[in-house]
Amino acid sequence: MKLIITDLENFNIAVEGEYKLINPHGEVHPCIGCFGCWVRTPGKCVIRDGYEGTGIEMGKCSELIFISKCCYGGLSPFIKTVQDRAISYIHPDFVLRKGEMHHKRRYQNIISLSAYFYGENITEQEKETARNILEANADNYDGTVKTVCFYQTAEELEDIRL
Amino acid sequence: MKIILANGSPKVGDSASRIFLAYLKDYFTDQSRQQPEAVLRDEERKILEAEFHAAHIPEGTMEELKSADALIFACPLYVDGLPGHLLSCLMQMESLLRNPQWQNPGLRIYGIVNCGFYEGIQAQYALELLRNWCARTGLAWCGGIGIGGGGGISMMPAVEGGHGPRAPVEKALAEMTDTVLQQKIQENKYVSVAFPRFLYKLAAQAGWRQSIRANGGKVRDLGKRPEE
Ligand SMILES: Cc1cc2nc3c(=O)[nH]c(=O)nc-3n(C[C@H](O)[C@H](O)[C@H](O)COP(=O)(O)O)c2cc1C
Repeated sequence: MKLIITDLENFNIAVEGEYKLINPHGEVHPCIGCFGCWVRTPGKCVIRDGYEGTGIEMGKCSELIFISKCCYGGLSPFIKTVQDRAISYIHPDFVLRKGEMHHKRRYQNIISLSAYFYGENITEQEKETARNILEANADNYDGTVKTVCFYQTAEELEDIRL
Repeated sequence: MKIILANGSPKVGDSASRIFLAYLKDYFTDQSRQQPEAVLRDEERKILEAEFHAAHIPEGTMEELKSADALIFACPLYVDGLPGHLLSCLMQMESLLRNPQWQNPGLRIYGIVNCGFYEGIQAQYALELLRNWCARTGLAWCGGIGIGGGGGISMMPAVEGGHGPRAPVEKALAEMTDTVLQQKIQENKYVSVAFPRFLYKLAAQAGWRQSIRANGGKVRDLGKRPEE
């Protein structure tokens, strides 16, 4: 299954195969840093606003695809907040990976990550940050990076196939 | 000189970010701890705190920024980047700062990003996001600190005289104080707590076990895979 997380309210992009879409449907509450998703309701965020189950969906997907406005080289606030709320995808215990500390797996699926960023005049520095963050995310999820690409407008994305 | 300490943790009460900002506040007000060249004795020093805990700019912050000399963000690392709520604030600020009414060409921006993992370098891309935000808003990025082991800092004793597990962090914060007071730029600096990594890992893992039990759960539930 492909898990697509986007800030586009009107999602008009063709997708091959089975997918699940998370896009804005009511306000998303920011993570409050309580770690309740690890120690109170393990696997699920404790804030019940319709965005609490992303960690569970991540555990079922083979591809995680972000379609985001590029904000300083990162995801847009909506998507980043959804991502923050989904750290229950990983287990609280630590492991060493590539000589650095990361978290243990909770699930066995290996996620292949992609990001399609849109925005006017995305700078070279922003593109570099975006690629670096996606690689870092892949290390944290113990997954891989498939693609990171950039478009001037969200409309241009309607020509792609996911 | 007017300095604004911006707490970008979503936690309203205790947080690692709050601990680091408290150090900075102490250093800014205690001139005996500063480098002689950083001490501007005659100058009035005003230290303000801004609480960026939610997805909107704290009231009054934009007004204060107009006459501030430095804005120092302290926040946690969230999934290799900035917390979503802080990102919202930065975007709102970017759009307000396009209006000449709010612009302040003399404002210098610094960042402190702390993380739960041991290696401070893991905060480097969050610092890059702050740098890129400055580039978009026309503000002067003046460097930052990535702090590893921040998740354990509140449990570590503060020891006087440059000793103890907090010492490398305190040193980096003291150096940043001097940089800010001298209106200079620093390269990003990456530090970790002075506590062996394997013990840090063990202590954190013991902490999760204690916490889940305190919440009425079982240790094996730490690895639970809920269906929905
Ligand atoms: C949603 C979320 C995501 C996090 N992501 C990371 C991460 O990618 N790397 C890391 O080292 N720590 C991560 N942490 C741990 C925090 O950075 C750490 O607990 C920090 O000390 C919190 O700072 P504060 O008390 O100032 O909020 C994360 C914590 C949360 C709640």
